[in-house]
Amino acid sequence: MNTAFKKLICRFFAVALITLPFQTGQASMIGTDQVAAAAVAKGDRTLVLGYLSRSQTVSEFQALGLDAQEASARVAAMTDAEVGTLAGQINAVPAGGDGLVALILVVFFIWYFAFRR
Amino acid sequence: MGLNSFVWYRRARLTAGVLLLFAGLSGCASLVPQTMGLRATWPADVAVKAENTEVPFFAQKEYQCGPAALATTLVNAGAPVTPDELLKLVYLPGRQGSLQIEMLAAPRHYSIISYQLASSFDALLQEVAAGNPVIVLQDIGLGPFTDWHYAVVVGFDYPAGELYLRSGETRRLAIPFTIFEYTWKRSNYWAMVALPPGRIPASAGEADYLAAISAMESVGKPAAAVLAYSAFLLRWPGNVGASIGLANRHYALGALADAEAALQRAAEHHPESVPVLNNLAQVLSDIGRNKEALALVERAAQVEGSPFAGAVGETRALVLQRMGKNR
Repeated sequence: MNTAFKKLICRFFAVALITLPFQTGQASMIGTDQVAAAAVAKGDRTLVLGYLSRSQTVSEFQALGLDAQEASARVAAMTDAEVGTLAGQINAVPAGGDGLVALILVVFFIWYFAFRR
Repeated sequence: MGLNSFVWYRRARLTAGVLLLFAGLSGCASLVPQTMGLRATWPADVAVKAENTEVPFFAQKEYQCGPAALATTLVNAGAPVTPDELLKLVYLPGRQGSLQIEMLAAPRHYSIISYQLASSFDALLQEVAAGNPVIVLQDIGLGPFTDWHYAVVVGFDYPAGELYLRSGETRRLAIPFTIFEYTWKRSNYWAMVALPPGRIPASAGEADYLAAISAMESVGKPAAAVLAYSAFLLRWPGNVGASIGLANRHYALGALADAEAALQRAAEHHPESVPVLNNLAQVLSDIGRNKEALALVERAAQVEGSPFAGAVGETRALVLQRMGKNR
């Protein structure tokens, strides 16, 4: 086997290890998430799409300044549905950051003495 | 200018003023529909005044209201964190802020369950009245500008018309219901709580809260999930998903007898549930009761069109293999 091919295989496994969620636990215990997924008739297709959006979200996080480890740790804590919402939308969804309450002062004064509830 | 024209002028000004006031009021009503709704109906079983003064406060640094708001609720839930530690979980340098989904995902790393509230004042007030601090996403920008900001609602006083927030650099920001709704509305009334396992949110719905526990399970401690599922089953005893979750956590911790007990209880409520039968068969087989296991897995195999047929087949093969070895 040539070295380039070996490298490719290694890279594939490295990426797979980081991005694909792995199943722990032995044998064939069916999990709560699977029961819930079956209830909404999720098929293998959505599962595969889930994997894709996970790796996509990891790389989008990296593009926004996270390192690979941080990015995959964050994505690991998200549900498939959450990752699905985020993938490809990461620059469109709100990002809460600033806290300059002074900006709402104008509105505040219009209403403060008018009515408060 | 004669006297008549002066009177006419005064009258016109009065009419214009009254019209403007009406326009203003009706405009306000559509700007803050839920605040208007509260005037008509206050949510049942919620006090008109409540405040949890014990909730800690972390003043935010530049652009970092997300970590500050999250630390406020997590410390209140018993997880010893600081905003600086949370930076690596909820701050995105490229966006100079924190995303809502990350705010929901981060508490799970500390075995704390995050739960997104219904988009309503009722749910918010219900949680705050129960003593649960609520993280909200506000747009505090003016006019066409957007300026997203996370704050934590810790109390309210309806007769005084105020809500109390841990916000930015202010420990106790008092803000009128109207202004608060105006800023909160633009995030489609986004709000969440983060509570320790065993403490069910006051406004929790059965299916949504089960999903919240299941989401925590993926990165949280198994013992925390056991606690959460047990509390869930006290409230909703017939829920098959929670029974399976509880049994699986016991199983992962090696407590096979506890796993069996949880599944037997589930089987009483749902005697034909394929996942329950399959998992119970697996547990019994692990204990060495392969004969009982085989009977259960055969029953599971008879259910037609089950999405779990593959898993059932595997369990059946395993049980048969073990029986063969023991013969």
